[in-house]
Amino acid sequence: MLLVPAFLLVAAAIVLIGSDSSRHARARMAAYSIGAAFVGAVAALYQVTTGGPLAIRFYDLSSVASFAIPIGLYVDRLSAVMMTLITGVSVIIYSYSIGYMYQDRHARRYLAMICLTDFVLICMVSSSNLMMLFLFWQVLSYLLYVLAHNHSHAGTLVGAFKTFTLLRVADTAFLAGIAFAYQLYGTLEFQELFVRAAEIPIALSLWPGMDISGATAVSLLFFIGAMGKSAQFPIHLWLPGSLFAPTPVHALLHAGIINAGGFLINRLAPLFGLSSTTLHVAFVIGTLTAVLGATMMLAQNDIKKTLGFSTIGQMGYMIMECGLGAFSLAVFHLIAHGLFKATVFLNCGNVIHKARQEPHFPHVDYQADEGGLSRLTWFTGFVTTLFIPLLILLVTHGVLRIPLLESQGTVIFLFFIWITSSQAILTLTRLRQVASWKVSAAMLMTLLFIVFVYLGAAEAFTAFLYPNPEEVASYFKAADLPDWMFDLILIMATVLTIASWSYLYLRAHGRTVRMPAWIEGLRIRLYLPFMNRLYADEFYQLLGNGIMRLVHQLDKRERGWSR
Amino acid sequence: MVAMNDGAFVAWLLAGLPLLGALASFAFWPNPARLKLSSVVWSAVSLGSIAGLSNQLVIPPEGLLPLYLLPLTAMVSLLGQPPHADHRLSWITTLVFLGLGLCVVTSQPPVSSVASMLLFSVVALLLYRHHSVLWPMSWWGIGTYALGALCASLSLAVDAPLSSVASLVTSAVLLPLMPFHDGHLTAVTRLPGNLPSFIVLLLPSIGLHGLATMLPTVPDVVAWTVSLFALVGAFYGAVKALAQTRVRLLLAYSSLSFFSMLWWFAAATRSATPRSALLVGTVGLATSGLLVAWQVVRTRYGDDVDPQAVSGLASGMPQYAVLLSLLALAAMGLPPFGVFAGFMGLLLSAPFPSSGGLVITLLAWLAASWYIMQMVQRLLFGLRRPELRYADILRAECAALLIVVLVLLALGLAPATLFAPDQTMSATDSITGSVVWTKY
Repeated sequence: MLLVPAFLLVAAAIVLIGSDSSRHARARMAAYSIGAAFVGAVAALYQVTTGGPLAIRFYDLSSVASFAIPIGLYVDRLSAVMMTLITGVSVIIYSYSIGYMYQDRHARRYLAMICLTDFVLICMVSSSNLMMLFLFWQVLSYLLYVLAHNHSHAGTLVGAFKTFTLLRVADTAFLAGIAFAYQLYGTLEFQELFVRAAEIPIALSLWPGMDISGATAVSLLFFIGAMGKSAQFPIHLWLPGSLFAPTPVHALLHAGIINAGGFLINRLAPLFGLSSTTLHVAFVIGTLTAVLGATMMLAQNDIKKTLGFSTIGQMGYMIMECGLGAFSLAVFHLIAHGLFKATVFLNCGNVIHKARQEPHFPHVDYQADEGGLSRLTWFTGFVTTLFIPLLILLVTHGVLRIPLLESQGTVIFLFFIWITSSQAILTLTRLRQVASWKVSAAMLMTLLFIVFVYLGAAEAFTAFLYPNPEEVASYFKAADLPDWMFDLILIMATVLTIASWSYLYLRAHGRTVRMPAWIEGLRIRLYLPFMNRLYADEFYQLLGNGIMRLVHQLDKRERGWSR
Repeated sequence: MVAMNDGAFVAWLLAGLPLLGALASFAFWPNPARLKLSSVVWSAVSLGSIAGLSNQLVIPPEGLLPLYLLPLTAMVSLLGQPPHADHRLSWITTLVFLGLGLCVVTSQPPVSSVASMLLFSVVALLLYRHHSVLWPMSWWGIGTYALGALCASLSLAVDAPLSSVASLVTSAVLLPLMPFHDGHLTAVTRLPGNLPSFIVLLLPSIGLHGLATMLPTVPDVVAWTVSLFALVGAFYGAVKALAQTRVRLLLAYSSLSFFSMLWWFAAATRSATPRSALLVGTVGLATSGLLVAWQVVRTRYGDDVDPQAVSGLASGMPQYAVLLSLLALAAMGLPPFGVFAGFMGLLLSAPFPSSGGLVITLLAWLAASWYIMQMVQRLLFGLRRPELRYADILRAECAALLIVVLVLLALGLAPATLFAPDQTMSATDSITGSVVWTKY
């Protein structure tokens, strides 16, 4: 287990130490060390799957505070999965980077930083206590700053400083959470903390008449910490701000680093499961981030920004899953997203390079105006969007005998299965390409196949990460929304889907759709703000300037040295 | 009794060695390079003597860490200074300060009080000597140190409770607490040569020593008042540091903010533990390192150089850039350095009396990331200036900065009980005594 981080440190040392003439050979050699770390992570995954969690502690459990930084590793299934993901993606990214950064002056620094970042990530996900996790969490904030900046590029420096500042805000909330957790429960060991938090009900009085539970206070602060790393609204701006960094950095960032928030919530799932309030807050923040991230993505005109906002949207989606109590689904999602986004970013690097070399790239394919959608297309879309969800619900309710009306968690689970599968199949096969019954049937069958495979995979993954079904059920229970709200969301989702289809159908067939003028104009009016990322950068700039103006006013008023 | 006499002898010996070194170094007065070397060697001898004899001393409540850090910081501050005739007095004074400082920490009253008064007087005298009409504020600093000397003498002359109050004010001047912080600001910005980088650790360490013996006796109302001033000081220091562009002033306010945090924790627990010493020591050492790093820039680009006029050092001075970045990380309280360990140690061991106070403390901690990072970014990054000649750090400067970084790293990773083996604190102690929570 110790070999996994050790191999990554060795890789960093191989890159850093040695003469300039051998740097390319050493860079290639370091890739083997990262590969060895990946093999070690797979072995650790096998070991924890068959033999239970592994723990190594270099400190006395009874007194965490006696050791300045209590160093220890704790690898359970969650940690092992994350370790495998991080090292696996790192092998690919590092190998790609060797070629991508070949002629760069700072290639050595960059490659070493990649190895160090991997090391920090591995230590973070295998931390045996909150203190160690927080330690590596902060180091990660700084490494992001270092990776995102370029000495002599003003825009990069501004972006990197913004990244560091925003991440530090979230880190401070995390630190406050640790302080509160220790004050309330007297431990930073994960398992002990969960047991004590469940056993000791504590009420904190914010002000007379307003109490919150200790678990809520602590988990809310941890959630703010997670929001920072996972780029949740309104502290998401560091992610687009860091887009000047080399493209492979983004592959690592979007495939590994940004998952830290989801990992933290999953690591502390028993604590989050004690607080419905925190889960509901997570749901709201996640939904908001998913909607805003996806909308802003549509309005961007730069490939990296588009992908950056796509990640923000996906992270919102992932946090939303956590807020709904589907913790294992969030991990499943972040693994899938990590692999997908790493691939896309590495391809994006190729596209950018190619575009620099070939003035006519990317090619614009002028196509003749496409005709309207055929009946077959409409039918396929209709079945995909309305019939299949209904079929899933009926199968679950009638065949599997799951009481859906009493089980919000199952509905949520099914919803995510449907939406993800539809998204996947529609990305692979565009509706417009449905030209025959054969294609249509193949598409629908594939979709059904994906749905049930997904259902099986997600179920198996949930059983793998959280073997106790009661634990899973308790998280869903804690995340239960009030019935009226849940019903309202269901009805709104259904109405919105049907209305969208009707609108599209009528427009496609040349029918007049009576819409108020302000709704017609809304799309145009919203385009500019969303393209400008809702002017959040400007808002933060104003906020920063306002704070500094206040600081300078205070400084001038106070008779002191700086006068 | 024999042990006590042995302890007293060892204390005299430890304090006497640097003073002897100061006298011996005078022999090299015409040759600045040899004078500097002699001062460094005597500091190292002092450190060695402490390592060898500390087991014969009575361990103070704050542990032995400050004792080790004092000669080490003296050595580092001397190493970071270029050999020049103008700096000779400051090198000799460093050894004198070291001797007096060790005397205060290792001796018992009245000897320690007399040493304190001497220290205050010499600092005030030096400030007076370097007073300039352009810096009228330095009168406030001189006045504060004069007040400190007066209070140190009063604590000997009068009975309790006046003597306790006098001791508290003395500690507040040494380990800066609002409204007695002007001395600290003046010393860090106006003392000549390498003295600011030494004094920034020396005086707070002595202040902590006084605090450790006096805090358990102060009445509730005084502790409460101290808490209030400490919180105001932490916030004030952070705000003022944010507004500064001059590096020494920024570091002075930054250290004031961190020391005020220590006051808040100390007032809450009514004690100054080895963890407090870790925070004071590491904040002092990190600030000292940054002052040495700033001295490197001043040596190359002039005493009154505007940091905004220097940029792009990262590409021209890569070794310097790496060391300065690491020092900045340590100073802003990032792991794995000692400031973080000290801060976390206090945060986890002290039951904080109010969550509002915790919020202010954390905000001040957060602000440090802002102003220190801004300072570093301004100096290191940006375009290379063609009009500047970039020369990376010399061996002595590199050694000084490297020692600081390594010691801060070691202090961040070492067990908190290393310098006070008998004063371990159980983790479960920390949850008792909280007044905020209502459990049902």
